[in-house]
Amino acid sequence: MTWIHPLAAETEESADVLGGKAHGLVVLLRLGMPVPPGFVIGTGACRAFLADGRLPDGLDVELAAAVAELEAATGRPPVVSVRSGGRESMPGMMTTILNLPVRQVEPAVVEVVSSWDTPRAQTYRELHGIPHHLGTAVTVQAMVFGNRDHHSGSGVAFSRNPNTGEHAPFGEVLFGRQGDDVVSGRSLTRPLHELADREPAVWAGLLDALHRVEDHYRDACHLEFTFEAGELWLLQVRPGWFAGDAAVRVATDLADEGVIGRGEALLRVSPRQLQHVRVPRIVTVDEADVLARGLGACPGVAVGRVATAADNAARMAADGPVVLVRPATSPLDLHGLAAAAGVVTARGGPASHAAVVARRTRSRAAPRTDPRPNGWPRPTPSSVIGRGAAPSGGPVLIRGDRGRGWSARGCGTPPAGRAGRPGP
Amino acid sequence: MTWPGPPHATSTDLLVLHALRCIGFAGLGRVAAAAGLPEPDVESELIDLAVAGLVSRVAGDFGGWGLTEAGRAVDAERIAGELETAGTRTVVTAAYDGFLVLNPELLDLCTAWQMRSVDGVVTLNDHSDPGYDARVLDRLTDLDRRAEAVCADLSAAMLRFRRYRVRLTDALASARSGALDDVTDSTASYHIVWFQLHEDLLATLGIPR
Repeated sequence: MTWIHPLAAETEESADVLGGKAHGLVVLLRLGMPVPPGFVIGTGACRAFLADGRLPDGLDVELAAAVAELEAATGRPPVVSVRSGGRESMPGMMTTILNLPVRQVEPAVVEVVSSWDTPRAQTYRELHGIPHHLGTAVTVQAMVFGNRDHHSGSGVAFSRNPNTGEHAPFGEVLFGRQGDDVVSGRSLTRPLHELADREPAVWAGLLDALHRVEDHYRDACHLEFTFEAGELWLLQVRPGWFAGDAAVRVATDLADEGVIGRGEALLRVSPRQLQHVRVPRIVTVDEADVLARGLGACPGVAVGRVATAADNAARMAADGPVVLVRPATSPLDLHGLAAAAGVVTARGGPASHAAVVARRTRSRAAPRTDPRPNGWPRPTPSSVIGRGAAPSGGPVLIRGDRGRGWSARGCGTPPAGRAGRPGP
Repeated sequence: MTWPGPPHATSTDLLVLHALRCIGFAGLGRVAAAAGLPEPDVESELIDLAVAGLVSRVAGDFGGWGLTEAGRAVDAERIAGELETAGTRTVVTAAYDGFLVLNPELLDLCTAWQMRSVDGVVTLNDHSDPGYDARVLDRLTDLDRRAEAVCADLSAAMLRFRRYRVRLTDALASARSGALDDVTDSTASYHIVWFQLHEDLLATLGIPR
């Protein structure tokens, strides 16, 4: 085949052709890990489409053959996902199509490769120095369903704790749901280790996978997974990407474990990461005490009394720092946002009006907490936020880099400039 | 979609009330800039609106004008009435759809202006790299050109939307001439004006945020 490559251990094409995501799946297959069957339309087809305005000659025949093979592998006409994925990651910029009957693949491929050239994607590439001519690969894969039954679910798993660098599996799992519910923050996830009791076989498989990918990449790794009727499937692997003190600790631990040399450990910690270590953050708090989880919008921490209306925030700020908690923000909240030390919103994300406005005053934003019916503490005089309740007036502490909020009792921040442990 | 007839003109009192509805709590200067009217005229209207219980004023250094609950309700009713009377709902809805295509990209650009990812670490943009800032501003200029069509369609249907084009152009020109605050930080920055246009479209069409 010219344009299409199977998702298989034998596939030798590089990430330039397969895209980073599919290349990772091929690595997983080489390591003997379970990956849903599928195939990859290489970046060359996208480049041809961008040049000629249509898919290249011969692709239709290859596509029909690849679809037939996929049907043979799954024993039925499968429901597939059609995902973009170039050499460089461009999260959220291009089209992904899920739950597609396999006979409709060709127009879906056209839709995905067309999304390479939307103005928004062009802007992203300009800002991140990604060449416009690269094009995206398209991965077509049989869907697996984390919402199949009560032995199904989805999650993300890290081989080491991304907050601290500690050498222990870490992550989140969502029982009975699909992976996009985990990533979007729409649903309440559980700590990864709950898999150990509820799905011991899946847990064992996951630990084995984490171990093998770390061995392969010689770095901390991140896996996305789904389990369907008790059977584990891996959907993505990514090495590294730890920040700040976690990156420092992983590098030193890997050197101590003899996995990498001391020189390589030093090279893995950039000056930026050392700078990041000096950003104030929270220590001595338990993940279990978290009042709200969300997406962080700005590095740093803020402590303050909760205000649930902009007028209150502006008034209360005269007597000390305030954390403004809102469902979403509008221009009517601007004076409250300006007065607040930190901001939490129920909707939004790192690129929302609320986040842009919060960063403007250099306050620490943690937009988008998830709805947490039982996560908030016993309600004191409270205000309803989403489906949770915030302790109105009570002191809270928010961490803007990872999007977490705590009751302020028992929290502290480390002295500036101190890393989690001494460097190499 | 372009409105065929002459654009609808909003009465001065509603113009001032609605400006306050879209920009939030603000001093006289900012209300006047948003409404596109001289400050004395705006102050006179604000006093009448305060007498009617629709707006209130907080004195002091951080004081200003704000909408009351009654003011918000009256604005919603009158702005909805204006849209029906002028018959411009279809045009404004189409423009809003165009706005929503541009909005995620504008937010990406504002985020990129404020934060950079270097070596996988997200840090605040300290504006020490003129090449990076220039790339963001070039893409913002390109987006602004595409926003032109949305603004033109809105202004052709309802005169009051004209101010957004003027204020966005001013913010971009100022940012390009070196006023870094006018991208996301100042009260007249590109993002703040855009945020207010977003609010105005939601308020005009009666869509909850």
